[in-house]
Amino acid sequence: MSIESTIITKSTTPQSRSAQKLETRRRILAAARRVFAREGILATSTAAVAAEAGVSHGSVFAHFGTQEGLIAAVIEDFGEALSLHLHESTERGAGTREVLKSHLDAIRESEGFYARLAVETPLLPSEARLSLVLIQSDIAFHLSPAIEADAKAGSVKAMPLPLLFNTWVGLLHYYLANRELFAPDASLLESRGEELLDHFMSLISTGGKR
Amino acid sequence: MKLCVACGMPMEKPSDYPLGDESKDYCVHCARADGSMQSYEERAAAMANFIVMTQGLDGRAALAAARARMSRLPAWKGRP
Ligand SMILES: [Zn+2]
Repeated sequence: MSIESTIITKSTTPQSRSAQKLETRRRILAAARRVFAREGILATSTAAVAAEAGVSHGSVFAHFGTQEGLIAAVIEDFGEALSLHLHESTERGAGTREVLKSHLDAIRESEGFYARLAVETPLLPSEARLSLVLIQSDIAFHLSPAIEADAKAGSVKAMPLPLLFNTWVGLLHYYLANRELFAPDASLLESRGEELLDHFMSLISTGGKR
Repeated sequence: MKLCVACGMPMEKPSDYPLGDESKDYCVHCARADGSMQSYEERAAAMANFIVMTQGLDGRAALAAARARMSRLPAWKGRP
């Protein structure tokens, strides 16, 4: 990402001031995502985020209020990026496997953060908890037409969509939550993503079309 | 690229718009059959229903998630 390379102008027109404000906000969000990935979401203080972003502690408060507000904003920001990635990388009419591959690719960009989110979601404030539901909803938006089409064509078994979807998410989250055990020195999705995808597809495929 | 003011979906093709009308700020999923925009309650119910059908959540939890998303969208800003 080129966030760090953005030039902050020193002029004080209202326009540049609001651009500067937006840039600071972006910098804090990106820094928070990095620290959350390293240290955990709830274990991270707003002071640590300020230090990582190179801004004053007061600036974090000015932009996000409480730690809770910051957490909600980081998840929302991540969700928006993930949703946009999925939308851009998923052709309409894409098959189940392609959509799931896009899902993995979208997560991989922020794997460390997403793994923390998967583990900590039940402990987070309710607004943040609901955000994960909404992120999954965006994935389901792309996945459900693909599954319906593949089921109709006979390549994917007919089964309740929530169970199929939650089986995928459950598999993914288990591996991500324990990524230090499965892929200590690498990206889990890079080293094991294809394997998980192959396995899941073999579970839901009829075997008729391969 | 426009984002639907009522659900946040990116709109790119004519088929993303209600009755193919690209001057609209809301998407085909947020429109009634006659092309007008759904009410807050209609939209919340439809969004919650999608969540139930795809993720299997309890209906009340799904509705809470739908309302949380809607509270951040331009069409519904200022709703309780
Ligand atoms: Zn919409």
